[in-house]
Amino acid sequence: MVKASKKASTSNRAFYLIIALIAIGGIAALTYASTRPNAVVNASPVDTTLPKVASQGYVMGSPTAPLEVTEFGDFECPACGRFSVITEPDVRKNFVDAGKVRWRFIDYPLPMHRNTWQASRAAACADEQGKFWPFHDLLYQNQDRWNGEATTDPDKVMKEYGRQLGLNSDQFNKCVDSKKYQAKIQAHLVLAEQRKVQSTPTFVIGDQQVASALPYDDIAKLITDALAKAGPAATGGDTAKPVTVGGAAKKAK
Amino acid sequence: MTKRMWMALISLAGLFLGAYLTLYKFGVIGTLACNVGSCEQVQTSRWSVFLGVPVATWGLGFYLLMLTLAIAGLQPRFVDSRRLSLTMLLLAGWGVLFTAWLNYLEAYVIHAWCEWCLGSAGMVLVLFVLALMDWRETPEPESDAA
Repeated sequence: MVKASKKASTSNRAFYLIIALIAIGGIAALTYASTRPNAVVNASPVDTTLPKVASQGYVMGSPTAPLEVTEFGDFECPACGRFSVITEPDVRKNFVDAGKVRWRFIDYPLPMHRNTWQASRAAACADEQGKFWPFHDLLYQNQDRWNGEATTDPDKVMKEYGRQLGLNSDQFNKCVDSKKYQAKIQAHLVLAEQRKVQSTPTFVIGDQQVASALPYDDIAKLITDALAKAGPAATGGDTAKPVTVGGAAKKAK
Repeated sequence: MTKRMWMALISLAGLFLGAYLTLYKFGVIGTLACNVGSCEQVQTSRWSVFLGVPVATWGLGFYLLMLTLAIAGLQPRFVDSRRLSLTMLLLAGWGVLFTAWLNYLEAYVIHAWCEWCLGSAGMVLVLFVLALMDWRETPEPESDAA
């Protein structure tokens, strides 16, 4: 009875006031977190002295699109995976398919990811048979089935994906086993480093560079702004002479 | 402040933490605030989903249930309820076990840490200690008023 009265005598009013204040604060914080415009905060002007991006990577969309967006991505990077699965389909539908944007993907395999090189090489092999983008999508959709935590034999999974996409298995498997496109991926890596890319995904959108897995509204705004700046006469993207970045500049797996 | 009040406050904080991570998981929040560790690596790993539901959402449900029980435990009808104390203790104990499993995964399987998960682990542990103390201090059933 003593304990009961002690508990009952506690100032419930003050307690509920604190609860209400925490609830209001929490709701405000969640509202802020879910509505803050990350892209605008993180975007920074592109350094115009850096090498232009041209004839590198893999391109989707019209060659005459007024704007080119370049994505530096790592197939094993979770943020890239989230962007690819959640956001990119809408970007493709509303901008790439509409002829407004040409999308370029450049590998930037990060050193902490064990199987990313195998994925990049296999994607290049798929590109050889005109299936880079389906392979790209399959890799990101199934990232947790082939990444460094899931398997120590990623090439086996890559070959399975090749079969799923109807690629010529002999050609694809030989390409994967021989690491045919190792130098190409290394070239992409060098290009990313020259462009001072530090994390993935990093996007170059017009004159802005932003390192973040942007939600749709943010990337759509950046693209729309860049399109407005480019104007109707824009030729779009980086059209400078292709950069020669061949050779192995960095030890790869 | 009674132990149940502290439990309610901690549960409310945990509720918002769970909601934050759940919103991230469903794509509402673009980027996690993460100063230490690799939150996104943990939150997007295959172990971030349990029985088809994001682990963060399980956590949200856990904290919501604990908050409900703790606030119910402040009402005159339940203030000396040993059954309610035991329920909170069992729930918190389950939370500790589940959190221990998640921390094991972070340490030995994913090889990455998420500061939000560690924060939640700390809160679950404190909840368990408070629930244990509350259960020990609550009168035996025979002394309960009908």
